[in-house]
Amino acid sequence: MPESPSPSARIRVDPVGDAPLLRVEGLAITHDGQPHAAPASVSFRVDRGEVVLVLGPSGSGKSTLALALDGLIPHDIPATLAGTVEVDGVRTVDTTVAALSTRVAMVFQDPDAQLVTGSLLDEVAFGPENLRLPVDEVHARAEDALRRVGLWHRRHENPDLLSGGGRQRLAIAAALAMGSPLLVLDEPTANLDPQGIEEVYATLAEVVAAGDRSIVLVEHNLDAAIGFVDRVVVLDQQGHLVADGPVDDVLRHRALDLHRLGVWLPTSALAALRLRAAGYTLEPLPLTPAELHDALASHPPLAASAIDPPRHPATGASAPDPIVRVRGLTLRRGRTEVLHDVSLDIGRGEFVAVVGANGAGKTTLLQAIAGVVPPPRGTVHVDGIDVARADARTLPSRIGFVFQNPEHQFIAHTVADEIAHGLRRLALADDDVRTRTDALLARFGLTDKADTHPFLLSGGQKRRLSVGTALVAGAPVLALDEPTFGQDRARADELLSLLAELNAAGTTIIVVTHDMQLVSEYADRVVVVDDGRVIAHGPTVDVFDDTALIERAGLRLPPLRRALRSLDAHPALARATRLADLPGVIS
Amino acid sequence: MTVTADPFAPAPPAAPARFLYRLNPLAKLAAVIPATLVLVFVRDLTTPLVFLAIAYAVLLVGARLTGRLLALLLLAVPLGIALVGCGFSLWADASLVDTTPVVLQVGDWRLYAGALHTGFATGLRLGAIIALALMAGLTTTGPDLVRSFVQQLRVPYRIGYTALAAFRFVPRFAHELDVIRQAHRVRGASGGRGPFAAPARWFGYVVPLLAGAIRHAERVALAMDARAFGAYAGRTERHDVPFRTRDVVFVLALWAASAAVLIALFPWGIG
Repeated sequence: MPESPSPSARIRVDPVGDAPLLRVEGLAITHDGQPHAAPASVSFRVDRGEVVLVLGPSGSGKSTLALALDGLIPHDIPATLAGTVEVDGVRTVDTTVAALSTRVAMVFQDPDAQLVTGSLLDEVAFGPENLRLPVDEVHARAEDALRRVGLWHRRHENPDLLSGGGRQRLAIAAALAMGSPLLVLDEPTANLDPQGIEEVYATLAEVVAAGDRSIVLVEHNLDAAIGFVDRVVVLDQQGHLVADGPVDDVLRHRALDLHRLGVWLPTSALAALRLRAAGYTLEPLPLTPAELHDALASHPPLAASAIDPPRHPATGASAPDPIVRVRGLTLRRGRTEVLHDVSLDIGRGEFVAVVGANGAGKTTLLQAIAGVVPPPRGTVHVDGIDVARADARTLPSRIGFVFQNPEHQFIAHTVADEIAHGLRRLALADDDVRTRTDALLARFGLTDKADTHPFLLSGGQKRRLSVGTALVAGAPVLALDEPTFGQDRARADELLSLLAELNAAGTTIIVVTHDMQLVSEYADRVVVVDDGRVIAHGPTVDVFDDTALIERAGLRLPPLRRALRSLDAHPALARATRLADLPGVIS
Repeated sequence: MTVTADPFAPAPPAAPARFLYRLNPLAKLAAVIPATLVLVFVRDLTTPLVFLAIAYAVLLVGARLTGRLLALLLLAVPLGIALVGCGFSLWADASLVDTTPVVLQVGDWRLYAGALHTGFATGLRLGAIIALALMAGLTTTGPDLVRSFVQQLRVPYRIGYTALAAFRFVPRFAHELDVIRQAHRVRGASGGRGPFAAPARWFGYVVPLLAGAIRHAERVALAMDARAFGAYAGRTERHDVPFRTRDVVFVLALWAASAAVLIALFPWGIG
């Protein structure tokens, strides 16, 4: 993280007149076909130059709120809007999205779904052109916006050539070029890898530092955002406003309340709450890894007896009875070699995370292990069989594969059929298929959805069904490709808890992911892939101890590791990788 | 040979003599329309050959001589003509041409000169049509084509630029289809054997692909609206794509050349 300027040091734009830039009053939005309003009652205001973070548990209507700020709700998306959203004194319902676009600019979650032209310059010019600005003005705005996000030198390239972080920076430039005093960002980093997240936040920090824009940020990745936020607005599960105030008042003083509401706090704040419960004095509550580190560095160590020793789940040596054995695996995609002579053992019952930068080859490795991409003969063995020689009936009984988007692997018209399909392939008797289907539906909480079309399930249910179908043939190994991509924290945690339960019951879990904190919370062991090679494989705590290696692989330390590393005064804390390793319990 | 189809790629800088890049895309299209229509109906060998020669001459003078252009003109097009020519020669109905001399005899089977003529006339016609289309295709960018449609043909810009945005969907959906096929294979959704298996399999891909496509299109539409797309009846054009005297000259010159060829050869088989 680059240093963000402290809010007080920033240049402020003097308010024009009395009307706030944005005023939300008693806002309730009910999407057509939904029984409840979310948000249900929200009031707050944003003044010029302010940076406001919107927090709330999953389902509280944060994204819906964001869409209402520039009038997309109710003008484009069918929904009932009660209360008022006023931009510069004009009610959004009384004007048009196009007219509002000069006051409020949007940045959405998926960078690919907001780029419409073939070059960076055309992309940034697109909005000003729509506003019929003179050509000179279009050029001036485009250049200024691209320079602000550091992409001016690449202006003639196709956006497809940019990384995910680069495309999202381009989307920010396109929003800046609209010239709107208010920027609304809806989960701008949910689809990015750690490097992309860092890039986007460095860019945002510079926009904030310039002080000419107000920002409303909906974000669950608080660890990155908290540095430059002025105010926090919090919604509860039902979509009611529960807090609105400066970061200190809301996050530092009411952290425990927010946690109980189901709001995701920064990892460092959660860690600090646990440590407080264990007797540490941490005042004020640290919110960033740097703050937590500094607070602990000057804290006298507590008696060793007060601290639970961190759990050491596995030894460094490779497992004696590996369930997955990879030897000399080299794989090509087209003309390029994507995996070079990879050897790897995964022990029975382990929970393994495969991490690496974009394009490092981690998904290809996972696909080769699961036989989704056929590996050369003799290179990959799973539970005693050679994956390259296994037929289509044997393989699913050894390893199940879950794709990133669950919808991609649905093939039947009902949830029950989806499960039964895998059992029928085993040539079981009809009765047997029925009992085992019912048992599995119950296990994954889908019994009352048995006759529903898989596409009509909620996001979380779809994900559970895709895990169920992968395990139906009795596979002892489950491989998942980026299962938390683009999901909010609550849903990601729900899935990971399910995986932890399966793991506790004996299933070996191999998961490819970008989310370093999830890795350190759940995985016993980590495999680091860089440029088609496995450059590290070991217990999570050991792998994250090697900061140089993590950075070389294009990764970032999870926030908790950043806060706790090199804490000489607290040797017992210094090796903790997961919140559960810390002493104390948040009641 | 890899033909990268980036409809957005900007035209690389070209020497002033390479005039095709500086013509209006509509002029390049209009200039070849009469010749293309005629080529659909002619049956002889000479007419397509002459049009092929004209197209090659214009391309070699008016377009930049890249490896890709030369590979297209000297390898891909001749090879295509040869393949189509041979294929249609074998396929032609022998009873219609059995009065012509036999060129080749294998056992009972005879290849007549007439069949060869029909086959290669077809191959050359296709080759000539493609070569004429390349005049516009190789020297025009997607955005310029859209701009000329909007500026000269008065196509509403909302349609033109939405179509251009939709180009971006193509590689995305192609990738998504790949992943879906992979996922269905893993699930063992082969759809069984027999003539209906393949259609059944493809139908299975359609639902997830459409679900993803609709969602994506909705998001893109929101993002475009949020940036004031369609706010006014017109929008600023940073690049004018004018229709100049030289465009008129180019169109008239090619029309005149086409007419001259037709009058000289009169390829209608009734003369």
